[in-house]
Amino acid sequence: MSGLIPLTSRELIRWYRNPVSLITGLIQPFFWIALFGSALGRFPTIFLQGAPNYITYIIGGVLSITSVFTAMFSGVNIIFDRRLGPLGRYLSSPIRRSSIVFSKIFSSTFRILVQVAILIFAAMILPNGLRFENGFSLFDSAVLITAVILLALIFSSLFSIIAIRVTRMETIFGILNLVNLPLVFVSYAMFPSGIMAGWINSIAKYNPVSWSSEAIRTVIINGTLTGSQLANVGLWLLYLTILAASLIILTYVISERGIRD
Amino acid sequence: MESIITTDNLTKIYRGSIKAVDSLTVQIRKGEVYGILGPNGAGKTTFIGMLTTRVTPTSGRATVAGLDIVKESLKVRKRIGVVPQDLTTDEDLTGYENLKLVSRFYDIPTNEANRRIDQLLNMVQLQKHSHRRVKTYSGGMRKRLELIVGLVNDPDILFLDEPTLGLDVNTRMQMWEYIRDLRKRLDVTIILTSHYLEEIDALADRVSIMDNGKILVTDTPLNLKNSMKEDYITITFASPDDLKIGEKFFSNNEKRFSGINTLRIKVPNSDETMPDLINYFSSHSVKITRITIQKPTLDEVFLEYTGRSLRDEEGGDARKSMFTIGRLRR
Repeated sequence: MSGLIPLTSRELIRWYRNPVSLITGLIQPFFWIALFGSALGRFPTIFLQGAPNYITYIIGGVLSITSVFTAMFSGVNIIFDRRLGPLGRYLSSPIRRSSIVFSKIFSSTFRILVQVAILIFAAMILPNGLRFENGFSLFDSAVLITAVILLALIFSSLFSIIAIRVTRMETIFGILNLVNLPLVFVSYAMFPSGIMAGWINSIAKYNPVSWSSEAIRTVIINGTLTGSQLANVGLWLLYLTILAASLIILTYVISERGIRD
Repeated sequence: MESIITTDNLTKIYRGSIKAVDSLTVQIRKGEVYGILGPNGAGKTTFIGMLTTRVTPTSGRATVAGLDIVKESLKVRKRIGVVPQDLTTDEDLTGYENLKLVSRFYDIPTNEANRRIDQLLNMVQLQKHSHRRVKTYSGGMRKRLELIVGLVNDPDILFLDEPTLGLDVNTRMQMWEYIRDLRKRLDVTIILTSHYLEEIDALADRVSIMDNGKILVTDTPLNLKNSMKEDYITITFASPDDLKIGEKFFSNNEKRFSGINTLRIKVPNSDETMPDLINYFSSHSVKITRITIQKPTLDEVFLEYTGRSLRDEEGGDARKSMFTIGRLRR
């Protein structure tokens, strides 16, 4: 894949030169933390699975949602490249078709990790903000980063697959708007399962956003995990890994078969 | 002469019924500038799309530099340079970064790539703008950049798809100079599509006239024009008496009087007629004040083969867009 490294660095140069996209990408999650965190500051702690405050509870969800939203835009960027012309250049170059798509996926994953670092820092300095009461080990951070990366890979692959076939900007934005609210609210990203209606609960447990949110939440709240917590985290990460791997393989196969001009 | 591209009944059908390219069998020679002239929608871009491996043929086959365009598409892409109709450079990168990015697709060693990029930037006089972002470039500068991006890999064959579309007349002429210049300097075969007659006439060694997915005729622009047998000679005589004598020379030709003592005559080949004409005028002491020879343009050739004028096509497009604007305003 001779095009993968140059194309990924192109994406990162563009990102670095347009800091607006970094800032706008952070504003919304920051509002989640600041507004939800203070508005629901008196949320009964009994529902918070042991978290000292609501911000500590939702940070896992906010990081997951940030990952999903930024990842979805890697598909949009493929359509932009098609509309603005660079895609035509790449398609007539001797590079693998899949390297065009994976450069978007990998660069968006990198961007997400930067956003995640900034958001964690922001949540920590807020009054009554994120607190690691039971410590935060190297293992815990590995779980956090893995969950965020896997979720990023899932949604960037999914939207890339759509963008390989779809040529209209309106279509992909339509899909994006259609799925983003259910993805957030029919999941354990913002609210504990205990306060959810039964039917939402039964869907939310199959939402990858829930798996990632819960995995991150468990390590942030508990620090050192008990055996059953460890098993749960392991299971969530396993689901995420299986889904991410299948979608990456599918993305590879579909993009190699041809990207619409 | 050695062929560098051969196609055999190459066909592309879209959505089951639209024949964009219809059984093309052509041979393009090594080192020539091969022009494809046709109106918008003639199938030029689809034809180029197949040769550059971006479009998969429905049937037929083609080889580029001896390589099959379907089975060996990756290898084909290594040997060709493409300057598509649309702009392909990244506006957020500098001119230099765009060239560098593309050079990395071809695994060109860094030193060699830098040397080549410098040479190309010099060739189109973009050297001093190379570290500016492309979004600050003028339309002409962007087209020049596009041209050299297509040359970064030192291709055997360069495809130029409507290279001057949308440029003003001066910038267009300047592009022609760059294209002539690169041909002189580099050992490259050029495939050029255009719907500008003057462009093909100015640049192409051979031209194919294409319409409705088919190639109607292929020859040098000069031969095509000569084959029309439609030169016009316009002569202004010194006096009505001179006109009366002079006119007799053209007793078998279609002629009409235009202006004072002026005659416009249609002849099959003015190059052959002129020596006889001069001899006749001098032996009969016919005095003339002015003589103009008008050769047919490629538009007449196009009209002959397609039954319509390419200039009308352009006008037609303009009228259509005016109509659309009118409707939008309402």
